[in-house]
Amino acid sequence: MPWLEHNRRRIHYELAGPADGPACVLVNGLTQYVRLWQPFRDALVARGFHVVSFDMLGQGQSDKPSLFIEQDDQVAVLGALIKKLGKRPIFVAGISFGGVIALRHAIEHGESISGLIPMSSFAEIPAQLFLLGSALRTGLILGGTTFLQDLLFPMNFSSEWLESKRDLIGLATHRGWLVNDVYALQNLMESFLDFPPLTEQLPSIQVPTMILNGEYDFLTPRPLQETLRTKIPDSALVIVPRAYHAFTLEKPDLTAYMVSRFAEDVMARRWRGKRTIWVGPETVGGEFVPFPAEFDHMRSIPVRKQAPEAAPREEVAAS
Amino acid sequence: MRAFLGPLDEAGRIPAYQQTLVSSFLASAHGAYARQLAFALSGRLHYAWQVELHSQFCREMEILSLLARATSWVPVPTLAVSLWHWESAWLPNPVEAVGDRGLGTLIDLAAFGHAVHSVLRPAALLPEGFDQADPFALAMRRIEFESGRLMQAQILFLKGPELAHVRASVAAAVERRHAQVRQQWNDLLRGMDIETSGKHTLAPAPAYRGNPPPAPASVASDAGAAVRSP
Repeated sequence: MPWLEHNRRRIHYELAGPADGPACVLVNGLTQYVRLWQPFRDALVARGFHVVSFDMLGQGQSDKPSLFIEQDDQVAVLGALIKKLGKRPIFVAGISFGGVIALRHAIEHGESISGLIPMSSFAEIPAQLFLLGSALRTGLILGGTTFLQDLLFPMNFSSEWLESKRDLIGLATHRGWLVNDVYALQNLMESFLDFPPLTEQLPSIQVPTMILNGEYDFLTPRPLQETLRTKIPDSALVIVPRAYHAFTLEKPDLTAYMVSRFAEDVMARRWRGKRTIWVGPETVGGEFVPFPAEFDHMRSIPVRKQAPEAAPREEVAAS
Repeated sequence: MRAFLGPLDEAGRIPAYQQTLVSSFLASAHGAYARQLAFALSGRLHYAWQVELHSQFCREMEILSLLARATSWVPVPTLAVSLWHWESAWLPNPVEAVGDRGLGTLIDLAAFGHAVHSVLRPAALLPEGFDQADPFALAMRRIEFESGRLMQAQILFLKGPELAHVRASVAAAVERRHAQVRQQWNDLLRGMDIETSGKHTLAPAPAYRGNPPPAPASVASDAGAAVRSP
C-alpha cells in the first residue's frame, strides 16, 4: 500500500493500470474513500489509463488531522502526487468536493496537467448549497456518519440504482461508517463551508476542461456548473443524461467512456471547448450531441431562449 | 490478528475477558475526564459554558454507570498495572504555550475530551454475528454514538474565536492528546490480538442488519428528527 508523506502526515494512495499510459488522477468527494472509485477506476484502466486515486487528509486510510484541515494541504497533496507521475499526459478528475481541489490545482499549477474534469463540482457556495451543507453537517453531528450516509444515498443516486443495489447499500453504509470518523468528516466539511470563492480565478484556467453535470443533480445543480462553463475559457459543459450527483458510481463505464473521449481529443489536439454545451451519450459508444441552440439549458422544461447567448457555439468539442 | 473482538460465545456475546478489558479502559478514560470536569465546575454555575460542562459531566456519569452495569466482569490479574498506566496518561497537562495557566488547563481538558470522544470507537470492534440485544454490545454502540455528540462542545470551544490567537498551540495540544489516547487504546487492542492499523476497515464488512434500535426520546428530540446509532 503506497503512502505519500506531506507535512509529517501520511496520505494513502493507489495506482492502477499501465505504468506508461496517460494518467488520470481521481479526487474524492466528501464521504468517499479510494475503494469507492473501483468500478470507475477499472473502467478507466480498461481504456489504457494509469489511474491514481488517494484518500484526502481526513478520509479513509490517510491521516486525519484532529482539529483543522486546510484546503491548501489537500491541494498540495494533489500537486505532489501529480509530480510523481513525471512527464506524460495527466488528467485530473475530481468529484464534488474533490472537484474544488482539482479546480484549485488547475488555477495554481495548470501547466502540470493536460486536462481537467470537474464532476458535480462548484467554485463557490451559494445560499442553497451552504444551507444544504450546513444541514448535512448538523445531520453528521446529531446522527453520526450512518445518518449522513442515509441522507446522501438518495441524494446521490437514482431510485432504479438504489433498488438494484439494495443489498450492497447496507454493506457500503457499514464500511463507510467503519472507515469514516465523525470528527474528521466534520473537519473536512468545515474546511469547505468556509472556503473563499474561486469564481474570479476561474478565467486563469487555461487547460482543456470538460465539466460533467448530472441531468438530475440537485446537490450541485446546473447554475453551479454554468459558473464553471462561463468562466473557464477552454471548457465545455456536458450534461450526463439521467444522472444524479454520484454518476461515477452509478454509471462508471459511461463516465469512463466520456473521460477517455475527452482525453483522446485533448491528446490529438482536437479539443475545442469554447464554452460549448453538450448532452452526453446515454450509453457507451454513443455520441455527444450539441445542446439545442434555441433552448435554454438552464431550464428543466424546454423553454426557448429569450436573449442571444454571449459565447458563440462552436462545432464539436468532443468529436 | 483479528479485525474485531471475539470469538463470540454461542449466544453471540463478546468474551467476558474482553468485555472487562474494554470496559475498564473506557471507564478509566471517561472517568478521568468526568473527574477533571467536576474540578472545573464550581458549586454554582455562573457562565453559559459551565452549563455545557455540567451536561457533559452528567453524560459521562451515565457512561460510567452503563459500563458498570452492562459489562460481564471477570478478574484480570494484570488490570491493576494497566489502570496505573492509563490513569498516569490522563493526568492534566496544561498547555504552557498559551501563557495563562488557567486557560492552558481548560484547553488541555477540552483536548483530552476531544480525544476520548473521537479516538475511542468501541462499536467499530463488534464482530459480525454479535447479539444485537446484548447489553454490552448496546452499551458500546451507545457510548460511541453519544461521543460524536459530546465532542461538539470541545470542538466549539477549541475552534472558537476566543482561541484563534493560539490556534497552533491548541491544534498541537489536541494532536498530542489524540496520539496519547490512541497509543493506549491500540496497546490494549493489540494485547487482545486485535488489528490496529485500520486495515480491518477494508476487510469484508459484517452483514448489514437493518436499522439499529432507535435512539432514546431525548436524543431524537434534540436532533429534531429520528436519529439512530451507527
